[in-house]
Amino acid sequence: MSSLRIARAALQVRPAAIARPLQRRGYADVASDKIKLSLALPHQAIYKSQDVVQVNMPAETGEMGVLANHVPSIEQLKPGLVEVIEESGGSKQFFLSGGFAVVQPGSQLSINAVEGFPLEDFSAEAVRNQIAEAQKIAGGSGSEQDIAEAKIELEVLESLQAALK
Amino acid sequence: MAFAWKAAGLTYNRYVSVASRVVRRSLKEDKRIAAERRGESDLRFAKWENGKQGENKSLNTANEAAVADAAGHQSS
Repeated sequence: MSSLRIARAALQVRPAAIARPLQRRGYADVASDKIKLSLALPHQAIYKSQDVVQVNMPAETGEMGVLANHVPSIEQLKPGLVEVIEESGGSKQFFLSGGFAVVQPGSQLSINAVEGFPLEDFSAEAVRNQIAEAQKIAGGSGSEQDIAEAKIELEVLESLQAALK
Repeated sequence: MAFAWKAAGLTYNRYVSVASRVVRRSLKEDKRIAAERRGESDLRFAKWENGKQGENKSLNTANEAAVADAAGHQSS
């Protein structure tokens, strides 16, 4: 009689043990369609490993959009507009002064830049004034470095002006 | 990739600091004042020779001189 009870107890234990592996989530369940974005400046982290849907950015090799499960790569960014499409469906736009984007395995994206601000923080008038100034220097008879720096400024300002329109 | 600034003897560091400076200057007044403080740096150094301190120099001007010098060697 007692041996029968032990046998029945063993029978009752087993179904629970079998059920557990069935509840375990596989890779297919875990893989999400979101990408973890970290957008960091030396003085501030705008995004800290936050789930977003898509990030569009101006790489030196051309405009690129990054979704989840993107191939790992390192891209130098041009000074320009980075668009972040968030989980809620809304999108945010930041103008970055140039930096690097690193797409890491496991749907992680790290963007590093020196300066980055939302578009509404810029003044169209300041941009226009600076373009005039930089054009004067770029076309002037300064040193090779001064002209090169003015051309960098022009590149940034023209990108900024196009983004502000 | 051939960048125009690289041909002029500028480093990537210099390129990105020029780009950032111009981004800061393009901000609206209130944000600009707070941001422009980040672009400032002032460091002085002196070379010690035979136990004597040499001339005090600003790192920023020394860097600019070095860039101009490097560009001169490159083009010639």
